[in-house]
Amino acid sequence: MIGKRVRFETTNATEFVDITELLRQEVLRSGLRMGRLHLQSLHTTVGLTVNENEPLLLRDFEGLLQRLAPENAGYEHDDFARRFDIALDEPVNGHAHCRQLLLAGFATVLVEDGELVLGRWQSVFAVELDGPRHRELALQLDGEFSSPAHHVGRSAPPAKRARPDGAKGARNTDLVELELARQLLVDPEPVSEPMRRLVEAGGKRLRPKLVQLTAGIGPRSEPLRAAALGAAVELLHNATLIHDDYVDESTHRRGRPTVAAAEGPERAIAVGDYYFAKATRLIAEIGNRDVTSTIAAALEAICASQIDDVALRGAFPGDHDSYLRVVRGKTAALFAAACAAGALLSEASREVVDALRRYGDLLGVAFQMADDLVDFSPSSGKPVGLDIRQRVLSLPLIYAAEDRTVGPEIRRLLEGSLGDAEVRHVAGLVTSSGALQHVRDEAQALVDAAVRELETVELDGLRPTLIGLAHSAVDRVS
Amino acid sequence: MSVHAIDRELDRLESLWEDGLSDTYRAYLEAVAGYEPTAQPKLALAAALIEIGVRLQGLGGRAAAPPTLLMGDLCLARSSRLLADAAPQAVQVAFARAIEELSAAAAAGRAVPPTRGLLLDALEAR
Repeated sequence: MIGKRVRFETTNATEFVDITELLRQEVLRSGLRMGRLHLQSLHTTVGLTVNENEPLLLRDFEGLLQRLAPENAGYEHDDFARRFDIALDEPVNGHAHCRQLLLAGFATVLVEDGELVLGRWQSVFAVELDGPRHRELALQLDGEFSSPAHHVGRSAPPAKRARPDGAKGARNTDLVELELARQLLVDPEPVSEPMRRLVEAGGKRLRPKLVQLTAGIGPRSEPLRAAALGAAVELLHNATLIHDDYVDESTHRRGRPTVAAAEGPERAIAVGDYYFAKATRLIAEIGNRDVTSTIAAALEAICASQIDDVALRGAFPGDHDSYLRVVRGKTAALFAAACAAGALLSEASREVVDALRRYGDLLGVAFQMADDLVDFSPSSGKPVGLDIRQRVLSLPLIYAAEDRTVGPEIRRLLEGSLGDAEVRHVAGLVTSSGALQHVRDEAQALVDAAVRELETVELDGLRPTLIGLAHSAVDRVS
Repeated sequence: MSVHAIDRELDRLESLWEDGLSDTYRAYLEAVAGYEPTAQPKLALAAALIEIGVRLQGLGGRAAAPPTLLMGDLCLARSSRLLADAAPQAVQVAFARAIEELSAAAAAGRAVPPTRGLLLDALEAR
């Protein structure tokens, strides 16, 4: 029997965290072939459940919990005057405990042939009821084990988990994860360990998802090549993040110390370079010159924009045009390239490739705007105002600085040094202005434009999935 | 060989050209003589950009300041695009492996092998 703890971070007060992939990786690593995976929440405000990962259904569940145990119903647990030995940071969370009563605190999932036994629509969720927080689950795996390496070596395990985009989408997602794991397994430890920490810490995997979706559009659909390309694009993205974190002096990413913070800038530069080179090699080895050129051009745009981004910090907070120029390079270029490269790999028509490239470009800009909004959200799990503190381009801040009412005060504050109080004050002024709604509307308009790009071409039934993906890029802050 | 052939590939890198990139570029011209004439300047520039890029970044030594690192990153990215345009697949792979070797050594704290030797070998990979 193997026992261990897994940690994850939540970003909202109530949140359904799909931990199926995390559990699948644990089973894979353990080499468990036939047996059981037991899991137990180590918190009184985190529940466990098995259900369908369908965004609207998850909203229904959240609504149900809200109706059954409303936040403001008045709970004796929250009457601190009547309680003893309460911590200084004791939260008002009677509702969260009551909601947990409606869920289980433990679960068992069967494992057969090294795979979680789950129905087509089943996913395993940890349900955050009092977030955002760092959370921990206890796992025990028991049964018959084989060597983990044997299991990792399988090229295409059958998928038993379904995503809203169907079994094919789930299987493809697994292929990218396996390809990432396989690539990291063969790399020297001084580079693979920092990258593994970053990859395993999460990330939305949007770029590989775009590659895989668009690689299914043309007549030559090859899931393994698409997974190889998707994994390479994800490694490339992470390599740029490692250098960015050094440049931005960021201490944490995805809830963990950055490579530069943990191991120093010298190691960060080397790890970034290694995976930049490895990703370009993996892409070259796929053997499609158009794909190679597409990704290489995007990488060049990212680097050029990063230089512009840093240069613009002298004129912080900048203006709308500068913002768009930087974001189109820094973020949207790889989104657009991922879409185009997938389609090129599948030998889709030029018309389709171009439409998807435009879709990716618009989606990338919308995604970055939504990311900017997260900086002002107290429930995001990140400190509010990090972009302000680091003087990173931020559209809400640009709009607020141009606002007739709060703009002069914001600009005055930004001219001085930015301590905690100043950052809080600026964030408050931005929030009190109409800037957040303005950016939200602009991001939504870009998503609408991205969706319109899809209307002009034949997409072999993938249009609804691409539309859903585009909406999810901004829904995370709505 | 005319420098004009690569003028447009030097966007944002003009100051580097004056500051040693041109000499490094010329050092690779002989090694690319066996390639198609149109590919030769791009390949020589790609190799020179990698050599200058990793030097700017401080790979294997003291880390560069952020703006210098970003310039080094741009050199590597530009090189990658030039190789995608002009190099056979085997040479693209060989160049990437050369950078992997350099950076793996740097990450492990080992002595970084001479960049030029690795890149000259990579140019032989076609």
